[in-house]
Amino acid sequence: MKVVEKDNAVRGLLEAECQRCRDVLGALSKKAAHYPKGSLNVRKKRYKDKVYPYHYLVARENGRVVNRHIPKAELPGLQHQLEQRDKCRKEIQVYKKRIAYIEKLLLMPRRRGDPKK
Amino acid sequence: MKGLRTIHFPPLIGGLLHTLSEVGFFDRCLLIGSWVMLLYQELYGIRYPLHTLDIDFAVHLAPAKKQMRADLERLIIDLGFVDFMTADGVQKFTATGYEVEFFAQRPGGREISALPVREWNLNALPLPFVNLLTDFSETVEIDGITIRIPIPEAYFIHKLIVASRRRRVEKREKDLEQCTVLIPILDDQRLRQVMQSQRFSKETKQILARSCKRLAFPLQRLIL
Repeated sequence: MKVVEKDNAVRGLLEAECQRCRDVLGALSKKAAHYPKGSLNVRKKRYKDKVYPYHYLVARENGRVVNRHIPKAELPGLQHQLEQRDKCRKEIQVYKKRIAYIEKLLLMPRRRGDPKK
Repeated sequence: MKGLRTIHFPPLIGGLLHTLSEVGFFDRCLLIGSWVMLLYQELYGIRYPLHTLDIDFAVHLAPAKKQMRADLERLIIDLGFVDFMTADGVQKFTATGYEVEFFAQRPGGREISALPVREWNLNALPLPFVNLLTDFSETVEIDGITIRIPIPEAYFIHKLIVASRRRRVEKREKDLEQCTVLIPILDDQRLRQVMQSQRFSKETKQILARSCKRLAFPLQRLIL
């Protein structure tokens, strides 16, 4: 079988990139953990021929689904936070994919505690 | 100012450069790092196709009392980037795997992990020799955007110095590789100007000499 000689310079660059991705992933995960959990839903309540929409946050807490009412005043702030959280999660996915790709190229064994693909 | 024909930056990077240019960031601050090589390629005809996923900027520090000119943190986030802090407290931005970081000249002798830049509402990583780049720069116009970049001679000397300070061999090799590519376009007079602007320590002079030796670059061109 023909064996390709290792190119240490290229390998080193890939290792450095992998480490960079891991560092960013760590920082982003830490940031994402500070955002509120769950998703924002809206319910409409009819009362005396009028429809009153109100927002609530659905999240799982200790295995139970919890609905928390969101006052109108808190709504813009929460919506912004959830948007930022989703952006953060999207970015986390980009880095996870890249790490998986580089590890595959480098034929690195998956480290303990790394998320399953 | 030198005019360039279109450079196909990835849309996100193009948007970032456009935003920074619009708020006057490039009046005194610069694009640095391997993306500059892409511009040198167009300006001077060198060949260096490799650029990394981090986009670095050198910030010229204004006096502390200077008011905020633009909220870059908000502007960059609005472009779709996510901001985050490193363990050292340095602010970075990321989007689709690209990483944006700001650097500033490290105030002499002090070890600071991050420098607040009030003028642009962000913080920068202080490093030595960044002033080599900010003090010797030129502007280029691409698609109506004005971008400030270091002159090749300053970039070359900066890389000669930082190469030896790298912990990773591959990064050192990459720095010296960029230097090798730049050698044919270096102007001796401008090299001398950059060298004479600094009072390098004995150690830095030795570092420069070591890097020059590795590149077989004549030391006398740097008046060392």
